[in-house]
Amino acid sequence: MGNLLRLGPALFTLALTLSAQAETRTDDEAIYQDPAWLLLGHYQPDTWSDGYTSQADDPNFFLSEHGKHSPQAEFEATLEAMRQPGGGDQHARCRFPARTAWLEERIGLSLPEIECPAYDTWVDTLNTETVTLVFAASYLNSPSSMFGHTFLRLDPPSDDQETNLLLASTISYAADAAAHDSELLFAYKGIFGGYPGITTVQPYYEKIRLYSDIEHRDLWEYTLNLTQDEVDVLLAHAWEIQDHNFDYYFFDENCAYRLLALIDVARPGTNLLGEVSTHAIPSDTVRWVVDKGLVSKVFYRPSAATSVTYSLSTLPDEQQTLSAAIANGYVDVDSEEVSALAPAERARVLDATYDYVRYQSEAEAWPREFAAPLSHDLLRARSTIDDAPSPEQPPEPPIRDDQGHDTFRFSLGAGQLDHREFTQITLRPAYHDVLDPPAGYRSGAQLQFLRMDARYYTDNDELQMEKLVGVEIRSLSPRNQFFSPLSWQVGFGGRRTDTGSERVFAPYLEGGAGGSWKLATGTQAFAIATADLEIDDDLRRGYDAAPGADLGLLFQSDQLSLMAGAKTKAWIVSSQHRQDQAYARANWHLGREFSLFAEFTREDHYDRYQSTWQAGLHAYF
Amino acid sequence: MKKLIAGAILLGASSMAFAQPGCGVGAMIWKGQSGIAPHVLAATTNGTFGNQTFGMTTGTLGCSTNESIQSMAMYMDSNIDKVARDMSRGSGENLDTLAVLMGVEEADRDTFRKTLQDNFASIFPSSETTSGEAVDAIVALMEQNDALSKYVAA
Repeated sequence: MGNLLRLGPALFTLALTLSAQAETRTDDEAIYQDPAWLLLGHYQPDTWSDGYTSQADDPNFFLSEHGKHSPQAEFEATLEAMRQPGGGDQHARCRFPARTAWLEERIGLSLPEIECPAYDTWVDTLNTETVTLVFAASYLNSPSSMFGHTFLRLDPPSDDQETNLLLASTISYAADAAAHDSELLFAYKGIFGGYPGITTVQPYYEKIRLYSDIEHRDLWEYTLNLTQDEVDVLLAHAWEIQDHNFDYYFFDENCAYRLLALIDVARPGTNLLGEVSTHAIPSDTVRWVVDKGLVSKVFYRPSAATSVTYSLSTLPDEQQTLSAAIANGYVDVDSEEVSALAPAERARVLDATYDYVRYQSEAEAWPREFAAPLSHDLLRARSTIDDAPSPEQPPEPPIRDDQGHDTFRFSLGAGQLDHREFTQITLRPAYHDVLDPPAGYRSGAQLQFLRMDARYYTDNDELQMEKLVGVEIRSLSPRNQFFSPLSWQVGFGGRRTDTGSERVFAPYLEGGAGGSWKLATGTQAFAIATADLEIDDDLRRGYDAAPGADLGLLFQSDQLSLMAGAKTKAWIVSSQHRQDQAYARANWHLGREFSLFAEFTREDHYDRYQSTWQAGLHAYF
Repeated sequence: MKKLIAGAILLGASSMAFAQPGCGVGAMIWKGQSGIAPHVLAATTNGTFGNQTFGMTTGTLGCSTNESIQSMAMYMDSNIDKVARDMSRGSGENLDTLAVLMGVEEADRDTFRKTLQDNFASIFPSSETTSGEAVDAIVALMEQNDALSKYVAA
């Protein structure tokens, strides 16, 4: 227990340590300690000594054999190599065009012209005028995708009629995981290192295919205001790192981190890496880029799932029913019901139905024998309608993901547990729960990491860990005639549990699955079958398990979020008592920085009734 | 310029085999994906797999000397579902991309879109049509069209 208490402040410090590592020293004016040089070599100051270590994990990235730990040796070796006569793709100047450009400018190094055929062709082919940071948002029924993903798109000059952004190239940094690795191995190597991180160049249409069509994630495109010179530097540095390994770590040195480094190199002094503390959540990195004034415009590209949901919802009711009937094979595409519609309406129904059939084939694996002939009939029928307006695009959400509430939450509350008064502090490093301000987040989705609730009971001056959440994921996605997603939840950690005589801190594992139905805008009802497991030597048999149910209502809006319901759990191993709860929780949002919260629980357990209430303030930062 | 674009698309996809008019079969339309199970942890931790693979096909390089047709075949191979959709509607960004890859100028784009929409049934005669067959049909249609034939001249 004591250990857990000590963990609290440690987590807090961990989450708040900002930029301490990334600050550069000014006590020595040597060129090799110039921040720009350290950036080009991906050097970070060592934590325990005053040396440096590069994040590059590839000897070929260095020209000196001591390059990994010595910016000075690398600087001298680079200078030496640049001055070598000759040329061609293997010359240091061709391998390191960004270093070359920087040295020429910084120390006025003047070098003869040389040819770098491979690099020149690469740059010509990429034909880049501007750079766009693309953020793949999370998907409704996949809270695990909440952190998002980022990559850079290299946009060709926009005044050209042959400009086409689908064909633009993208640069991304990803873990090169072996496809046969299991989830567990994947998690282990991801956290502790073990996967090489590689920089890949791919056309944008392949990214759209992956994120928008397969993973159902909306894309936000943030065009950066880098000048042509800065873009050239960014490309030159991308060339330097593209075939070199930087070990991939999910939480900090991840996809987003390496892109921040590229932007830092392109515009010296930006110091986006300085914002990184213990973790670089891609959605947070987008905030930093926006806050540093790097964005000139933003474009929203809805995913296939968002588009189809929207186009179905804009159909009148009877056409929705018709569309569902066609998609399920009850009504033929050539039937009278369809041909009776006016051409423009028929086009809308056929378009929406086709998109829906494709979505279901991707997401729900509808068999090809059924879906392909139907898809063909739909398109053939559609191709006979001329000049129908193209389907309406879903509107851009008024609040972007990067404009939602900040993800670190600190809460202070006071309340009573069965007439004992307490004060409670909650720290939650990431990310969002269903009662937090919903703008910028998917409704009904919740993902919390490392949340800690500590209580101080005033009657006997006792400080207690109330709850420690490892991970908690919840996804409430409403079902309708087109979509029937499963609502589910899973979580583990430690919490106070009632043994009948005392409240002990016990590790728990919980999960559940069920359904959710939309009642009105922002309101849904849910019914979840749950299962709980608790382990503690104070429990009679050392552990206890409970099947149960959770029925409730959830209301989310920009001003107020509410959840109320009833839970029942039947503990069947040790205590053999039922635990019934009625609960109500409300958050009143003061902008997106603060929420006032109140919660009340009435519980019947061990044949006695007990009430808990609490009220306080959440702050997001 | 046209060469650059064709080059870019070939560069981006250099690791893939792709369909050629009259050579490769190409991806069958609505074949769907296999083996891309969502990796829960990959998504959570914003990792991704470097070696994602997409609709693969058979085919050999060098059957057409026309780089535009090559790159269109390439694009059709990985985006056939969406190209077919846009074609049936006579509009859409995937159709515009085909026009760019074929080097169709602004003035002829309407003809291009209309021709493909009107002939949807001959480009995609069945639900078993492959991207290679569709490319052949598109090239044949363009050759017969006064305004479009210049874009497919060998």
